[in-house]
Amino acid sequence: MNIPTKPMLSGERQDALAVDADVIVIGAGPAGMSAAIELASAGCQVIVLDLQPTPGGQIFRALQSNLEARPSTDSLLAALGSAYNAGRTLIQQFRATAGIDYRPETTVWDLRADGTVGWLKGEMAGYLRARHVVVANGAMERPTPFPGWTLPGVMTAGAVQTLIKAGRLQPEGQIVLAGTGPLIFLLADQLRRLGVRPALIARTDRFRDKIFALPHIRPAGIPALLKGLGWLARLRLAGIPMRSRVTELKAQGRDRLETVSLTVAGRGMELSCDLLVVHDGIIPAIELAHCAGLALEWRESDASWRPKTSQDGKAQMAAGPALTSGPCRIRISGDARQIGGADAAVAHGRHAAKAILAELGRASVRPPVGAADQTATDVQRTMAARPFIDAAFPLGLAAQLPDDTTIVCRCEEITAGSLRTSIHGGATDMNLIRGVTRCGMGPCQGRSCAVTLARLLGEAATRTPASPAPFRARPPLRPLPLGALAKLSGLDPELAEVVSLEDKPEAALGGDTNG
Amino acid sequence: MFTPIGSAEATITIFLDGRPIPARAGETIAACLMRAAAPYFRTTPVTSSPRLPFCMIGHCFDCLIEIDGVGSRQACLSQVCDGMRVRTQEGPAAIVGGQTQ
Repeated sequence: MNIPTKPMLSGERQDALAVDADVIVIGAGPAGMSAAIELASAGCQVIVLDLQPTPGGQIFRALQSNLEARPSTDSLLAALGSAYNAGRTLIQQFRATAGIDYRPETTVWDLRADGTVGWLKGEMAGYLRARHVVVANGAMERPTPFPGWTLPGVMTAGAVQTLIKAGRLQPEGQIVLAGTGPLIFLLADQLRRLGVRPALIARTDRFRDKIFALPHIRPAGIPALLKGLGWLARLRLAGIPMRSRVTELKAQGRDRLETVSLTVAGRGMELSCDLLVVHDGIIPAIELAHCAGLALEWRESDASWRPKTSQDGKAQMAAGPALTSGPCRIRISGDARQIGGADAAVAHGRHAAKAILAELGRASVRPPVGAADQTATDVQRTMAARPFIDAAFPLGLAAQLPDDTTIVCRCEEITAGSLRTSIHGGATDMNLIRGVTRCGMGPCQGRSCAVTLARLLGEAATRTPASPAPFRARPPLRPLPLGALAKLSGLDPELAEVVSLEDKPEAALGGDTNG
Repeated sequence: MFTPIGSAEATITIFLDGRPIPARAGETIAACLMRAAAPYFRTTPVTSSPRLPFCMIGHCFDCLIEIDGVGSRQACLSQVCDGMRVRTQEGPAAIVGGQTQ
């Protein structure tokens, strides 16, 4: 196939392209807010694009409106506790910093390494360009395919937390929490404060995981560990049933969840259930980084990809032809870079911002000797508990790959069995499997199935590939109404530029190639 | 499955398949319909299985619903407006003026 290539823009030309801001920050969670505050305080023009209506990200979701609605939200705020209320100062500072152009309810559907960002707000869409982009779009919960996971009544722990925070709702009825990781204990403790008693906390982790994790404890990580032990102690005191070493989780029911079955230490049990809450840790949301052509690395221990970045978040281009010319202008921060939680995200957002300020030549007065790497030290300190957490809560619900009858692709309802058939038939590439089976071709664009398919490929591989490549990601990454596309503003300068008619497909020149 | 924490303070109304549902300004359609105990938001195009929101943060696209005549919108990312008309989606989408196969 003869792919027409476009002449590269010269460095001079690249600099001459108009920019809309010094920095565009994608996401207004802890990392995005802290980066924006640091950058704008140093005099940068910063545009912050946020999918949510108010700043805070998922961890501090709707905190501002819940604070404004007091006293009617007092019990809600009390139940969510310090982990949630801690966001108050950061949000206030973000709101009060001049030079931050905050654009809520804005979807990012395109990102390029040259600093171009495609956005959508309501029925309006366009492109923006900046000298630097900070990707702080956070994380998602690890997809955990198990029998019945698509049934109404099965939700993730994060989903329930979102309903508490933004919906001011609490679950009722017979509730089972299943899985592993700190979030499930935090949620259980928050439910306890709301007076909700789960029928069972079904933990996949084992006591021996904790023993093996002990050598990973670092002094700076001890406060986080104590917090976790506090949750566990309160749940035990409240007498909430808890089992560990849970395997073979199944959700059963006709049109909605009716019963949950599982195996505890080799013994099967079944209980009636209205709401099954699952959680198996969180993984970076890679779709923006991947769309921009940035390098990703597959981490077998996390069963997920994460972007390859330097310590200050600077991303690098993936090998192969790039869509854009010039240097990579993207940094990735917070959980989108490496899972670390809110404190680590705040620290890294600030660290990434410092690096950008240095590149822009706007670094504030030289810090005193010895304090030069303060932001880097903060990043290390706030990540100190991670090695222990990762070792203590290994992959649980997703540890075993699903059996053949279990749905992997929720959108197109493709089972692990059909994927294995395709793989045994010789498919070695995720894009090929997508084309053949439609796995990853539904509305979520592979967000829920990509990591599982990568592992199914690994399961069959005689020699493990160095790093499985995810489904190719192309804009729009999220649905873009045709009306908005027609009215696109800030038209991408590279697209608007007619280099020659030879790079146009034949159909555009009047030929009718498709019949 | 879900009940309000404290008083619901529903001051506006949206319509699900024509049925009025009290809503709180600022909440998402997904939260509003979960409180109203909607049994499903859509049935899938492939096997017509019912679905409710799974992730609530815009990743899973299981909460797709028709909002004011526009199909397949994410209910977890869309806020309620007074008088909004929401419809559950059944199976595959129909082609306007044509037939699905």
